[in-house]
Amino acid sequence: MRQALIGGIGNVLLGDDGVGPYVVKILESTYAFEESVEIIDLGTPALDLTHQIVGLQSLILVDAVASNDPAGTLALYTKEDILRDTPAQRLDPHSPALAECLMTASMLGTMPQHVLLVGIAGKCYEPGHPLSAAVRHSVGPAIDAILQELRRLGFTFQKKAFPDEPGIWWSDHEYSGPVETVR
Amino acid sequence: MAKRITIDPITRIEGHLRIDVEVENNAVSNAWASCTMWRGIEKILRGRDPRDAWLFTQRFCGVCTTVHAMASVRSVEDALKLEIPLNAQYIRNLILIAHALHDHIVHFYQLSALDWVDVLQIPKADAAATSKLAETLSPWTRNSRNELKAAQDRVNAVASSGQLGIFANGYWGHPAMRLSPDVNLLAFSHYVQALEYQRKALQVVGILGSKTPHIQNLTVGGVANAIDLDSTSALGMSQLAMIGTLLQQVVDFVQQVYFVDVCAVAAMYPEWFKIGSGVRNYLAVPDLPLDSRGSSYDLPGGYIRDGDLAGVKTFQTASDPIFRQSVSEDVMHAYYQGEKPLHPWAGETEPAFTGWNGDEKYSWVKAPRFNGEPMQVGPLAQVLIGYAQGHPLTRKYTDMAIEKIAAIGGVRATPAALHSTLGRHAARAIRACMLAELAQKHLQLLTDNIAKGDYTVHNQPVLPSHEVEGVGTHEAPRGTLSHWVVIKDEKIKNYQAVVPSTWNASPRDKNGAHGPYEASLLHTPLARPEEPLEVLRTVHSFDPCMACACHAFDASGRKIGVAKIL
Repeated sequence: MRQALIGGIGNVLLGDDGVGPYVVKILESTYAFEESVEIIDLGTPALDLTHQIVGLQSLILVDAVASNDPAGTLALYTKEDILRDTPAQRLDPHSPALAECLMTASMLGTMPQHVLLVGIAGKCYEPGHPLSAAVRHSVGPAIDAILQELRRLGFTFQKKAFPDEPGIWWSDHEYSGPVETVR
Repeated sequence: MAKRITIDPITRIEGHLRIDVEVENNAVSNAWASCTMWRGIEKILRGRDPRDAWLFTQRFCGVCTTVHAMASVRSVEDALKLEIPLNAQYIRNLILIAHALHDHIVHFYQLSALDWVDVLQIPKADAAATSKLAETLSPWTRNSRNELKAAQDRVNAVASSGQLGIFANGYWGHPAMRLSPDVNLLAFSHYVQALEYQRKALQVVGILGSKTPHIQNLTVGGVANAIDLDSTSALGMSQLAMIGTLLQQVVDFVQQVYFVDVCAVAAMYPEWFKIGSGVRNYLAVPDLPLDSRGSSYDLPGGYIRDGDLAGVKTFQTASDPIFRQSVSEDVMHAYYQGEKPLHPWAGETEPAFTGWNGDEKYSWVKAPRFNGEPMQVGPLAQVLIGYAQGHPLTRKYTDMAIEKIAAIGGVRATPAALHSTLGRHAARAIRACMLAELAQKHLQLLTDNIAKGDYTVHNQPVLPSHEVEGVGTHEAPRGTLSHWVVIKDEKIKNYQAVVPSTWNASPRDKNGAHGPYEASLLHTPLARPEEPLEVLRTVHSFDPCMACACHAFDASGRKIGVAKIL
C-alpha cells in the first residue's frame, strides 16, 4: 500500500524547470526505498495532481521555484505555506495548480497528513538548455532534504552499493556521476 | 469611450492565456487573445532520431501528454508510409478514448461548471428535494439524499470556515448565475464524483500505457505492449477484464451524469445558445482508425465554411491531401520573425518579442489558417461536421441532447443553435457519449483480434536516406492536432506542432481576421463589467490549454528553511 509519494514536477524540456524530474531520477537511481514509497516524474500535471495524491499519508514534491533568490537556493514549504495563496482566476483552466489541488484535497478530506515542497530557485527556462550550474549543485542538498523528511516520518531506505543509470533521457549533457550528500 | 479590461492571471511564470476586451454599453466591442510565454520547443527536435521524437513531444504539455506522443509517432509513420498492426491501432485508440473521456469530465466539472453553478447557494438547498429532482433526470444510482447531504456538508464546512479555499475566486452571487439552490447542489455533488470517475479513465491509460503521466508503450510502427493471454503483468485476459470494468463505470458516469448535467445547464441558460458563436469555419480530422492502413475510421473529419452545414466537405483519411496542402501559419501579430504565412513543413520559430501591442504583435501563439481562413476546432467542430455528413453515431447523441434539453427546459435547440458558448459544452458532452460507446467497441475489437491468435503489435520502421515529409494528426479533446515532420539522413530536419489551442487562441492574421476566441467574445453582454463572468464562460467553453510551456511554483509562501548553496 502506497503511503508516501515523492514527485518531481517540471518541464524537462525547459532548462531549470526540469530540476524536479532530474532530482527524482537521481534519487531513485541512488537509493532503494521500502515498498510504500513511490517515486515518480510527474511532469507538469496541473490539476491531474489531485488524483495522484489520493490516499497518501505523505507528499513530498520537488519543483523549480520562481524567486528573487540566487539560482540554486533551496527553500522548503509546508502545507500551510502552499495553501496561503489564493487560487488565481483560472482563465486558462490548465494552469499549474498545486495550491488548487491541495485545496481540493482539503475540501474532500483527502489531504495528505504531511506535505513538503522542496523548491529550487531556477535561472534559465529556455527550451533545450541544460540545468544551470548553480541548480545542478543544489541537487544533492535537495535529495538530503527529501531523505531527512522521509527519516523524520519513519520511512526506511538504503543507499545502493552500485547506483543505477539514472535515465535522464532528455539531456544531451553527460550525467556527471552521483551527487555526494553531506550527511 | 470604450473601457479596457485585461484578464491576466499574472501570478506565475508559466505561459498562460491573457484576454483583453474593450467594453462599450455593457457589451464587448473588441477582443484580443494572447499567450504570454515563448513556445519554441520544436527547435529541440532538429537533428534528433525521428523514432525518439514522441518522448520529447509528450512533454510539450503536462496535461495533454498522450496526444502529443500519438501525433508524433503518426507523423513519422506517415513519412515512412508504415502500416500499423491492428492490435496496435486498437490499443492506441483505447488510450486516446480513455484520455479524452478523462479530459472532458475534468473540463466540464473541475474547470468550467462553476461558471454556471453558484457554490455559495448550496447551503440553502434541500438534499431530499434535490434527490427527488435528480430521479426525474437520470437513473444514476448515486443521487441519494445521503450522497447529496454529504456534498452539501463539504460546502457548508468550507463556507463556514471563513476561508473559501478552492472557491475563493468565483463570481458568487453574480446576476448571471441563475440556478436554484437544489440544482446547484446536484451539480456540485457530481463535481465531487467526477474526480473519482476521471481517475478511473486515467487508470485505463495507465494500464495500457504502463505509466501515467507520460505513457511508455508507444513506438514508431506500433506499440510495445506484450500480449500474453494468461499473464497478469502482460496484456491478457486479466488486464482486459480490468479495463472493461473501469470503462463501464466511466461510460455510465458520462452517459447518466455528465451528459444529463450539460443538458440541464443548457435548458436553464437558453440565452447562451445565442451568445459566443464567432468563427463559423470548422475543422476536424478523422480518427480512431479501423484498419492497419488508416483507410477507414470510426470518427469522421472534414470542414465547414461560414456555418454552411449543407456544404460540408469530407476528409477521407487522417492525412488527407487537402488537409496536407491547406494549412499555414501567419505571424503578423505574433512575436515571431517572418512576413509571409508558412506551411508547417517550412515553418520557422524565430522569436521577435516586442511587448503587447494590440495593433501590432501581441501573442506568442501563431495564427494557423486553413486555405487562408481561421478555423474553429474542438468538439463543436467534430459534432457539426459529423452531423452535417449524416454520421449515425454523431446524429444519435446530438438528437438525444436536443430531446433531453427540450424535456428539461421546454427549449427546442437546433443544430444551428450549436454555434454558441452552450453549443460548445453540449457538443463536448455529445462527443463524450460517442467516445464512451466507442470505448467498449474498441475493447471488444482488441479482445476478438487477440482471441484469433494475432499477437502482432509492431512493424519495424526503416528510415530512408532521402528527404521525406509526414503529418501525424489526432482529433484530440480540444480539437485538431497535427505534427509535421521533415526527415533527412535519418534525422529530423524540421518539426512543427500545430495544436488545437493555437487554432482557437489564434491572434489576428495579416488580413486582420480574428481568431475563434476573439471573435466569439464580440458583442457578449456583461451584467457587471468589473466582474466579467460572461467572458470567462465563453473562453472556458473552448477548454483552452496554454500550459504547453514553462511553469514553476511561485515563491510567495514563507520559507521555513533556506539553505544557501556555496
